[in-house]
Amino acid sequence: MRSRAGARRRREVGLAYLLLAPAVVLLGAVLAYPLAWEVWASFTGLSPLQESGPAFVGFENYRLQLASPQFWLAAAITVAHAVVTTAAKLAIGTGFALLLARPFRGRAVVFLAVFLPWAYPASVSVIGWYWTLSPPITTSYSVFMGNLKNAVDGALGSGAWAFLSVTLFNIWRGSSFIGVLLLAGINAIPPELFEYATLECGSARQRFWSVTVPLLRPFLALSVFLSLTTGFADLANVWMLTAGRIVFPVIGTQAYWLAIGAGQFGPASALSLLLVPLLLAALLLLFRLFDAPEREPA
Amino acid sequence: MRRRARRRFWHRALTGLAVVYCLFPIYFVLVQSLKTAEEDVFGYPLIVLHPTLENFEELFVPSGQPRGFVGTVLRRSYPFFVWLENTIVVFSGTVVLTLAVALAAAYALGRLRPPGYRWWRRVIFATYVIPQTILFVPLYHVVNALGLDDNLLVLVLVYPTTALPFCVWMLSAYFQHLPREIEEAALIEGAGRATAFFRILLPLSRPVLVAAAIFTLGTIASDFTIASVFLLSDINQTIPAGLGTMEVALDELLAVAGINLMAIPIVLISACFARGYVRGLTAAMVEGA
Repeated sequence: MRSRAGARRRREVGLAYLLLAPAVVLLGAVLAYPLAWEVWASFTGLSPLQESGPAFVGFENYRLQLASPQFWLAAAITVAHAVVTTAAKLAIGTGFALLLARPFRGRAVVFLAVFLPWAYPASVSVIGWYWTLSPPITTSYSVFMGNLKNAVDGALGSGAWAFLSVTLFNIWRGSSFIGVLLLAGINAIPPELFEYATLECGSARQRFWSVTVPLLRPFLALSVFLSLTTGFADLANVWMLTAGRIVFPVIGTQAYWLAIGAGQFGPASALSLLLVPLLLAALLLLFRLFDAPEREPA
Repeated sequence: MRRRARRRFWHRALTGLAVVYCLFPIYFVLVQSLKTAEEDVFGYPLIVLHPTLENFEELFVPSGQPRGFVGTVLRRSYPFFVWLENTIVVFSGTVVLTLAVALAAAYALGRLRPPGYRWWRRVIFATYVIPQTILFVPLYHVVNALGLDDNLLVLVLVYPTTALPFCVWMLSAYFQHLPREIEEAALIEGAGRATAFFRILLPLSRPVLVAAAIFTLGTIASDFTIASVFLLSDINQTIPAGLGTMEVALDELLAVAGINLMAIPIVLISACFARGYVRGLTAAMVEGA
């Protein structure tokens, strides 16, 4: 009897691995080799401009990056960018979710409006957004936008407007995604809990911090992680769109520039890998908050 | 009573503000695409007085046919119709592939639970940490080795990895929450595992599948970089990659029309499933317990 159950379990496990295989193969083919290549390249002086084969340089690329003040400036801006955009998205997204939490007339329409910035494909809206804010030719709004650009660039240095506008775009789109995700979280909270909280807690603010936030914790953690990992995508899109003319002072586009513009694959790989430990640490921390709760198999 | 009225007022004001904030950029891009060249330069920025569809029509001028001159510069036409076809092929292929692969993996992790399934799931999710920055350089080696250079299949292969981890996460969490008895009843009746899956689990998980599909569509529709790196010749491009190659100084209105033509169908599809999307997200994280 026992061995029959064991055989059944073994079959189950075998089937499980079989079903996992496509996902693992797909992720492996697309990500594993490139990642391994990147790690390897970061230890060499690999460059397509060199005739001889790449020389192994050990941690030299990392050491040089860590020693340069430029790196620390870029790292600081990258982290600040991630923190600011994530905080803004969380704040606006939470606002959306709370506005939509209770039924009111026209709620369905407002919900759709909140959903649209994320649903609107960013691959093309980033093109539209970028050209709107930096109009290429004379349009009816280019004088206004040009003045705005000059004012911001004049105050914060050249390139500031491009960076700021893409950041705003990222917040616009991300807050929509987070708002919808948090709304899904609020929908999961039984209404009785809210009623109970209204009786127990004094102020609305107290209720928010002691009831809503703890209950939404897994959704909040998920939002933070997805925002951290996708925050860079819009900057990358604009970098591609302008054919690399605009190098933002963040690690990602600087690595692009080092690799594609200057042909230094080694340092570029090291540069783009330097943020991984930070992200991984954030993920491990967040796993504790959003991992599905342990449940004993019945 | 007065407090209530005040609250109502604030709710309305903030809701109005939120709607304007969300819709203004979309409205702005839509309005520009409806303008004639003349109105684009001399009209009002925020409204269109003589709406026209000529920019949209011009998109479909067959490739190779000149569309007239600006000064002495020839305005070339673009194979927009081909881009549209390519985009439909890539997007539908990616969504189907992603869902199929994610369902299989999620069933394995959520129902069969091989040893260490929790870690499998975490590792799959952790692939989001890998920096996308210069990954396309080595990815080109893989693509060349497979002989897929400048081929639409590249995107169908690469795109799923951007959405798969989240889909696996969501679906497997949902499957894990469903009580075991749901399937076991069917298994005891003599049905096979496959039957139980297709007859019982799959219909049950429809809202979560909808959510996964919408997430996948939204994610791949936001990529511009991968498409423009790997699709070089213009008859192989998707709409975002193609629009990126346009001469902005000459064809600003045409590009704006292209943006809308790509965005409107996707927005409509997403809007149709918006409610299901939220329901699916809720179900994945909480329900079935």
